[in-house]
Amino acid sequence: MVAPVVSSARCFWSLGPGVRRTLRALPGLTQVRWSRYDANYKEPQLDKDYYHKPLEELTEEEKFERDLRTTQIFKAPPASNTSSLFEDPVISKFINMMMKGGNKTLARSLMNETLETLKRKQFKKYHEAKPEDREAVECNPYTIFHQALQNCQPILGLVSILKGGRFYQVPAPLTDKRRRFLAMKWMIQECREKKPRRMLMPEKLSHELLEAFHNQGPVIKKKHDLHKMAEANRAFAHYRWW
Amino acid sequence: MMLRKVIRLISKSHKLDPGHFQHLGTRASQSTAVSLDAQVPGEKSRAISRTQESDPAKHGEQHLCQHYSIPLEELKTIFPHGLPPHFEMQVKTFNEACLMVREPAVELLHYLKKTNFANPAIRYVLYGEKGTGKTLTLCHAVHFCAKQDWLIMHIPDAHCWVKNCRDLLKSTYNKERYDQPLKASTWLKNFKTSNEQFLNQIKIQQKYIWSKRESIEEGRPLGEVVEQGLNRVKNATDAVGIVMKELKRQSSSGSFRLLVAVDAVNALWGRTTLKKEDKSLVAPEELTLVHNVKKMVTNDWHGGAIVVSLSQTGSLFKPRAAYLPQDLLGKEGFDNLDPFVPIQVYNYTPKEFESCVQYYLENRWLQHKKAHTEEGKKELFFLSNSNPWQLERLCAYL
Repeated sequence: MVAPVVSSARCFWSLGPGVRRTLRALPGLTQVRWSRYDANYKEPQLDKDYYHKPLEELTEEEKFERDLRTTQIFKAPPASNTSSLFEDPVISKFINMMMKGGNKTLARSLMNETLETLKRKQFKKYHEAKPEDREAVECNPYTIFHQALQNCQPILGLVSILKGGRFYQVPAPLTDKRRRFLAMKWMIQECREKKPRRMLMPEKLSHELLEAFHNQGPVIKKKHDLHKMAEANRAFAHYRWW
Repeated sequence: MMLRKVIRLISKSHKLDPGHFQHLGTRASQSTAVSLDAQVPGEKSRAISRTQESDPAKHGEQHLCQHYSIPLEELKTIFPHGLPPHFEMQVKTFNEACLMVREPAVELLHYLKKTNFANPAIRYVLYGEKGTGKTLTLCHAVHFCAKQDWLIMHIPDAHCWVKNCRDLLKSTYNKERYDQPLKASTWLKNFKTSNEQFLNQIKIQQKYIWSKRESIEEGRPLGEVVEQGLNRVKNATDAVGIVMKELKRQSSSGSFRLLVAVDAVNALWGRTTLKKEDKSLVAPEELTLVHNVKKMVTNDWHGGAIVVSLSQTGSLFKPRAAYLPQDLLGKEGFDNLDPFVPIQVYNYTPKEFESCVQYYLENRWLQHKKAHTEEGKKELFFLSNSNPWQLERLCAYL
């Protein structure tokens, strides 16, 4: 992965200042993040079920893969990726985004407190609801979290395109990664900026997650605003060439 | 034909374990679970984690590792204060208060049942590492004594009295000591809720003068002292002192039995973080409340028992790993409390851990899909090291 990028970087520098300036404006073609690992290092496999599968059940391809793994070199997984059953990549990403100044313990404890607050709020609703409505109350904080972030993801985004000396906001499709990132970023920003002075993060975050789960609240509104802007700038859609 | 097979199975299981006959009444459900092997595992787990016996006096070996529930009305009268905050949140979330019957508690209840009220009060000290269940064992003992109609003097956390106090008043009774009006009045309010029925029966045996115009005569009920303490917050600490003195004097007469339950007793002999007006530190002896409680914890009275627990969690200037009585009490505290009956509280045994997890699963508290599996339980066992507090914190977000 890195070798072709290194060669493209060299091509980038040999192009000339004028072309370099225009390319700098376009993300996706220029390398931003570097890695100490070269192309030979493979991603580690942290899933316990992969290793617990007995030899008889493996297909030919899987047996070949297992044999290949004995000779390959692997990257070291970061400390936060564990083989724990309770790990969730979405929650880990959210914790990393909430983290400030490298204080992962604080970010993780805030996340755990948020999940606990969500559970307690839903349990309260569950006990107050009538028996026929109890099925509808969702008590699992993980499903609420995933569903809320799913609801907050925008479908289209706006991209700045330079044409004829002016920058136009052009509606464009977003990649999955970008959509997940935007949903999480809006959620965290909303909880940090627009909360009452003495309210703590877990309380505010659990409130916002519950509202997003029900497709209400300020983060959903922001998503709808973005969609409306994209709709309004529909005329410039043909400025996009990819 | 099926019925005959079932009867044969039941009689076989009884022959194997003759002790079952005695416990047939309380464990009817479990014996049927033993005999009918095709029973749903849920039923068996229900039999492990819960018991119907809600009277602590009847808790014995057969109820170990099982949860018993305290009715919420009783909870409000017996425990206006004294329950750990996480347990209170759990009671609010589940709408029920369930305590596990554990070995240290059964041992302590056995000693309390056998107390000889003519002998001086014996001190029982609950100690153990952080989060093993000392406070809840103390609460179990308090519940038992409340059901037996003892008078309960429960000090929820002695650490609260030696730190974070904004209002230190110089005591009028003794110039060297300091009063804490707010803390004393909250304690008096809770004492009143838990011991309503005794406050009118007990009469004070001495005249007390509050100020130039207010005094209380001999023979008036104790309730009036408590009222005075609640109405005049300035006199609250002195009211607490009077209550303690009268109860200690009169417990020997035999009209009532007194239980003194102090949580985090190591605060009484430690250091404080309170400062006088000239910025010098206050020693614990200079606080009236602490002085009076120390008098209660001495074994020079009879007609009751003293149950006490140590705690490092709120303690001041003590290392985190310290949990033994010698470390937490210091030389002075140990000499004051000596002789005492030490009861160590341990982490969960595998059976208790299983029971706790079953309880959480029954109340739908463990919502994560993987937590219901065997590997999930093994992981919880490993991560919490069977420590009750750690397990509770882990299950809170799973």
